[in-house]
Amino acid sequence: MSSEIQQGTAAKNAPQAIDVGRLEKELAASWQSAGGAEESGVTRVCVLNLIIYATREEDRAQRDELLDVVTAHTPARALVLVADREATEAKLEAYVSPLCQEESRGGAKRVCGEQVTIEASGASVETAASALEPLVVPDVPVFLWWKDIPHGEDKLFNRLVELSDRVVIDSLVFDQPHEDMQQLARIIGTHRQYLLASDLNWGRLTSWRNLVASFWDVADYRPHLDALDDVLIEYDPPDAAPDEIAAQALLLIGWMAAELKWQPTGELVREGKSARWVLQAGEGRKINVEFRPAEDRHGCDGLIATLTLKTAATDAEFYVGVNEEWTKLETSAKIGDARSVGRVVSYEAKSEGERLSRELSMLSRDEVYERAVASIARLLEVLQKS
Amino acid sequence: MRAGVRLERTAEPCVVVIFGATGDLTKRKLVPALYRLVQERLVPAEFAIVGAARTELSSEEFRANMKEAIVQFSEAKSVDEEVWESFAQGLHYQKVDIGTSEDYVKLAELLERIDGERGTQGNRVFYLSTAPSLYAEAVKQLGQSGLAKPKEGQKGWVRVIIEKPFGTDLASAQALNRDIHQHLDESQIYRIDHYLGKETVQNLLVFRFANGIYEPLWNRQYIDHVQITNAETVGVEGRGGYYEKAGVVRDMLQNHVFQVLSLVAMEPPASLNSESVRDEKIKAMTSVRPFTPERIRAECVRGQYGAGSINGKQVPGYREEEGVAPDSATETFAMLTMYFDNWRWSGVPFYIRSGKRLAKRVTEIAIQFKDAPHKLFGSEMMEQMTPNQLIIRVQPDEGITMRVAAKVPGQVTRIRDVNMDFRYGASFGMQLAEAYERLLLDCILGDPTLYARTDMTERGWEIVMPILEEWAATKSEAPFPNYEAGTWGPQATHDLLEQAGRRWRRP
Ligand SMILES: NC(=O)c1ccc[n+]([C@@H]2O[C@H](COP(=O)([O-])OP(=O)(O)OC[C@H]3O[C@@H](n4cnc5c(N)ncnc54)[C@H](OP(=O)(O)O)[C@@H]3O)[C@@H](O)[C@H]2O)c1
Repeated sequence: MSSEIQQGTAAKNAPQAIDVGRLEKELAASWQSAGGAEESGVTRVCVLNLIIYATREEDRAQRDELLDVVTAHTPARALVLVADREATEAKLEAYVSPLCQEESRGGAKRVCGEQVTIEASGASVETAASALEPLVVPDVPVFLWWKDIPHGEDKLFNRLVELSDRVVIDSLVFDQPHEDMQQLARIIGTHRQYLLASDLNWGRLTSWRNLVASFWDVADYRPHLDALDDVLIEYDPPDAAPDEIAAQALLLIGWMAAELKWQPTGELVREGKSARWVLQAGEGRKINVEFRPAEDRHGCDGLIATLTLKTAATDAEFYVGVNEEWTKLETSAKIGDARSVGRVVSYEAKSEGERLSRELSMLSRDEVYERAVASIARLLEVLQKS
Repeated sequence: MRAGVRLERTAEPCVVVIFGATGDLTKRKLVPALYRLVQERLVPAEFAIVGAARTELSSEEFRANMKEAIVQFSEAKSVDEEVWESFAQGLHYQKVDIGTSEDYVKLAELLERIDGERGTQGNRVFYLSTAPSLYAEAVKQLGQSGLAKPKEGQKGWVRVIIEKPFGTDLASAQALNRDIHQHLDESQIYRIDHYLGKETVQNLLVFRFANGIYEPLWNRQYIDHVQITNAETVGVEGRGGYYEKAGVVRDMLQNHVFQVLSLVAMEPPASLNSESVRDEKIKAMTSVRPFTPERIRAECVRGQYGAGSINGKQVPGYREEEGVAPDSATETFAMLTMYFDNWRWSGVPFYIRSGKRLAKRVTEIAIQFKDAPHKLFGSEMMEQMTPNQLIIRVQPDEGITMRVAAKVPGQVTRIRDVNMDFRYGASFGMQLAEAYERLLLDCILGDPTLYARTDMTERGWEIVMPILEEWAATKSEAPFPNYEAGTWGPQATHDLLEQAGRRWRRP
């Protein structure tokens, strides 16, 4: 949908400044040429700024698709920063294009946002945030979609974070989940006062968390849940880090530990590819948590396959798992020999664009997520020390 | 004749004489603005321009230079040949050395000839676009040569436009006012402040006093605080020598920012005529709480930029700029907390910041209204809700935005800020007049509302003198450089607001 209007401000050799005034004029002209807006049936809307950090290797078609989906829900000013950090030559280029919704709904005008793409390479990557800042539309929120592993020492990341109200990451791309999660916890801690954080991978866990929480909704189950002493999480090991626990599995246990006030004991057992942590509940009860890599399934890298919660004392078992086709989630609860009726809910694969759009509709702090990340960092820290 | 005809204000015939006609301002702003006035038929056919400076130039050469300047610096980047032809006919050059009396005789002869040829009726605007050190001398020479007054027995008028800066401190501004008052009446003096020529600044008056809805809210009962940001991305651009002696308080705050401030703070004038408006402005500025050394230390922040990046480009720090001392203590950024000790504003802080090499070029006023009395909706629902804000953007993109809370469509009640936006350019689909165009036209029309009056220039200096003195006395303590180019200034400015439970807006 995004057709480029003008190639602007292309620097030849030395990195040059982006001419912000000119880009704004080009944008304004593009709206005027879209024909007195009235006749052409286009309405320019900007409900938020979306800064997208992308690397050069990334697929542009994929990004355009993502922006189409986002625009359909949230017409925005997208500020796309394409960075080529490895390049030796410092370069900075910018161009603008409208971002329009697929078609108008019921004869109404088409709603359009706009896109400014900044391509930065070499040394210009570090200074690119200063090119982007003046293009941010004031008075509407600023989201940063950082499609990479966030590093607290990265100058560009920090500048963009300072500019933003909310940073959205996807911890599914973490290639060292243990270290990266701790890093993330530090970043959230440092910028906590002003920064809100979102994680697409946390969004993928929403159905899981819903189903797990619904066990606690049943009064009859409570005594069993309060006696939990065994947790098993099976996950599809991430290709990038086959020997580490997947980020999503960490988030799930981080969430449970934070909400149920489980503390680390420092005990860690490795058995083959599995890892076993021993946590402790307030009243001294020990909980064995086992992370077990499941068989590798195409397209499910790093995702959780099953979660089983058990009590030895009362012989109860609560289960949530994904089906063979990875399209449904099933639950069951078993107390002694009596099997309760299970539940099946759909578990549709959503595109990155859809997930991102969901995050863009949220403006308040996700305290639960932040607690989960902090709790994982604490667990990992204690385990590393022991 | 004009009754009932829808015509804009039309000007009387006149000649505009520019002292400093070979300079930068003339080609960048003045001549392009005058050309537009002719093009838009806002000045009559009986109109002429005389360029004056020491350089030897023929009128032909001057015309060629000015045509080039219009192409280079006008918004349109071109000239309309027909308009140019008629414009050029009225364009002359006369060699004048400001200090040489004989040159004024020749100038007077030329002006008289033009009166005869073009019917300009002895009306004159003298525009002093030269170094400030020459203002007093030029006015004296005009006075002594008889050019400062209409000729005996003739009707005509004479007005003098004086560029900035007007003095470098209170004493020099007072001395300059004294000197020029020896030869000119206050009504003949037009001290330029190009910020006042901005459409939004003018609209501030209309907005406040013609709109019934805002005026009742415009006071301490409803307003929590006011933020005024005046940010430039440029550095000293080769004028390091000048800037070293000036600094941002002299260069920007004391004049431009205070003008804008006074329009926000003033009481409603009895009428919108120039004297009533200027009376109210000075009244407001008179109630500004004086700065004491304690207040300066606690409520003001000075800054100087270090190296950083602007618009994606690496830029050097102030001390590395040409003409700047490597240990310079000149401030390139200042933030002041100001209070008006009057009924309307008692206890309402006005936070004012101005600086070079900041993240974005923008001048705006943000009026922050107080929180809704009871927060009916819990914090979960109030997603990112800030109290209502009114933002008046002066540049770029002049316009007014009201930020209010609204319910987000959907099943659950969620409240999110929305903006009601009004941009002049977009709303009226027209190009806004450059500030200089408006100001030149006002002077030709004899309307000094948007020019600074004697008392206002002196009051501006009076307010900032304690700051300039305190900062000069504590030069060695200045923690410079203390902000990176491309940011929003020293951390201390953010801390200051934070301590008060407030936060600077991102403009
Ligand atoms: N440039 C801007 O954007 C800008 C912005 C705001 C305010 N201003 C103010 O505008 C004024 C002019 O600025 P500018 O940048 O145009 O300065 P400029 O480029 O240095 O020009 C100075 C002019 O004064 C003339 N001049 C110098 N000595 C003279 C003398 N003894 N007699 C007659 N003419 C003399 C020069 O011409 P000759 O050498 O041929 O005599 C030249 O035309 C200054 O007061 C400045 O503070 C300028």
